[in-house]
Amino acid sequence: MSQNEFAPWNDSAAKPLIQFQNVTKQFGDFTAVDDLSIDIYEQEFFALLGPSGCGKTTMMRMLAGFEKPTGGTILLDGKDISPIPPNKRSVNMMFQSYALFPHLTVYDNIAFGLKRSDMPRDQIDDRVNKMLKLVQIEKFANRKPEQISGGQRQRVALARALAKAPKLLLLDEPLSALDKKLRQDTQFELMDIQEKTGTTFVIVTHDQEEAMTVASRVAVMNFGKLIQVDTPTQIYEAPNSAYVADFIGDVNIIEGNATKDGDKVSIAWAEGQPEIVGTPSQPVGEGRVSFIIRPEKITISSDKPTDRRNAVQGKVLDIAYLGNLSTYHVEMPNGIVIKAQAANQRRRDSLPFTWEDPVWLSWSDTAGVVLEG
Amino acid sequence: MRRLTWFNATSLTLGFAFLYIPMIIVIIYSFNESRLVTVWGGFSTKWYGELFQNEAFLDAALVTFQVGLISSLIATVLGTMGAYVLVRGGRFFGRTLFSGMIYAPLVMPEVITGLSLLLLFISIGLDRGMTTIVLAHATFSMCYVSVVVSSRLVSFDRSVEEAALDLGCTPFDAFRSVTLPIIAPAVISGWLLALTLSLDDLVIASFVAGPSSTTLPIKVFSSVRLGVSPEINALSTILIGIVTIGTVAASLTTKRAALRRKREQQMAEQASG
Repeated sequence: MSQNEFAPWNDSAAKPLIQFQNVTKQFGDFTAVDDLSIDIYEQEFFALLGPSGCGKTTMMRMLAGFEKPTGGTILLDGKDISPIPPNKRSVNMMFQSYALFPHLTVYDNIAFGLKRSDMPRDQIDDRVNKMLKLVQIEKFANRKPEQISGGQRQRVALARALAKAPKLLLLDEPLSALDKKLRQDTQFELMDIQEKTGTTFVIVTHDQEEAMTVASRVAVMNFGKLIQVDTPTQIYEAPNSAYVADFIGDVNIIEGNATKDGDKVSIAWAEGQPEIVGTPSQPVGEGRVSFIIRPEKITISSDKPTDRRNAVQGKVLDIAYLGNLSTYHVEMPNGIVIKAQAANQRRRDSLPFTWEDPVWLSWSDTAGVVLEG
Repeated sequence: MRRLTWFNATSLTLGFAFLYIPMIIVIIYSFNESRLVTVWGGFSTKWYGELFQNEAFLDAALVTFQVGLISSLIATVLGTMGAYVLVRGGRFFGRTLFSGMIYAPLVMPEVITGLSLLLLFISIGLDRGMTTIVLAHATFSMCYVSVVVSSRLVSFDRSVEEAALDLGCTPFDAFRSVTLPIIAPAVISGWLLALTLSLDDLVIASFVAGPSSTTLPIKVFSSVRLGVSPEINALSTILIGIVTIGTVAASLTTKRAALRRKREQQMAEQASG
């Protein structure tokens, strides 16, 4: 992955392809998108992630032209697109239901948009064949949508949306109708196609794994606002709020009172327990803080580790066996449960810990995130 | 397969008897030699011959079919447009009123519809004739079309139309090249319904028909008042025959289409699996 090289959002000279400027969208009394501003750059694979009703689909429909913002402006290539109807925008959309035309063959579905563009007749055939090849459905060109499987329909929908070579492709929950295995394969294919065509992709999803896998940047939304916009790594490793941390993956959130300890803080979180030492990425004041740590960053052992300052003892309350991993729910003396994850390097019959075992949990000073509040 | 109990068999027989014995009697008596409708005088097809000699009946049949075709076409176009606006138009001023009004003729007694149309035609000075029957039939059958079409529109995925817009269609082009082909079966059944309603309407037609334009139902009704002639039986038999053939053909086509779709789906699953 070339994520380190591709980062136009850090380049102040880069010109964004899409700019949301204080965009608000209201449906009656309900505010779907609330005074939201964001820049999306060319060739990005941008994911809008959030629970249902958070406004992500509304943002996409405003880009496609099916909804008009109540306030603010949306610029595409520097031009305000509000007055442009959907059929005049160089933006195409892949629908969640695929929305294939049931009365047309796969070939005609893909050619549909091209026939309505100014492309000469003789080039349409080439373009359609190229698209069929790109998504590997040449065999089914003459079938009707109801004569192909769900995965193939998904490909037709993608090919149809890409056929007109739009500046921007919108994907509305594109993989939600596929089963898990097929979904994972298709995620990589999507990334591959995005790279090949160089199109800017904006994907809407409620599946955090999907967003993390495919996207160059992820925007986590809630109640019509952006909570955090960052690369998948940053979102996961440096969430800016307990909401983001909790929404993406599994997490332990421990609340306590912080006191400064050099460039670190130490957090008193329970009577009679050693204080947790954490390294805030941004300076936090003294007082109430949340300490956020991922289960896989916690080591579980039967003896007290000697090389780490952060070590607490508890007993195993529950074990979630996932095959490759096991998640141990460890209860502290004050009742708080901390989750720790360990890879199952040995076979099940020799799991190192079992219920009620006293265990030590430990982590390094930099393993967790310290957030104010 | 469960076997019929005696109770079910009896109800089935009674039900079918109730529905079909009158028609069977008409068919049998249409082949009656005797001029007296209720007295059997031997087998004959002569009343069919006489029917086809009877100019008045043939004229009435021609008028009926012309009226049926034209009025059902008008009703289909207007009814489809009405349904589209009601289902897709979103919220607009007077929507509730409009949707109530489009369904009102469904429950309005035909006598009232006929009378009010008659008064309208008189007040605007339109001479009663074929035009007035066509207008009247289009008016009352339009709402049936819009009921049938709107139920189809409600059930189909809105995003298919959005996809058409997204791919560069103007709203009209999207309707013509995507919506219309998808709702075509409903439009066709709406049209057939309008055609049938127009063909067998007696009440409204008798209000708005003029002396030059008698439809078949009016003709039959008025001649029956003078006594049932065996020709009427022959005519009824022909109509029953046409309806039977039409219904059987339609159900066979639907069944075959369903079978083909099922086969194709299985093929698709095999190909992908």
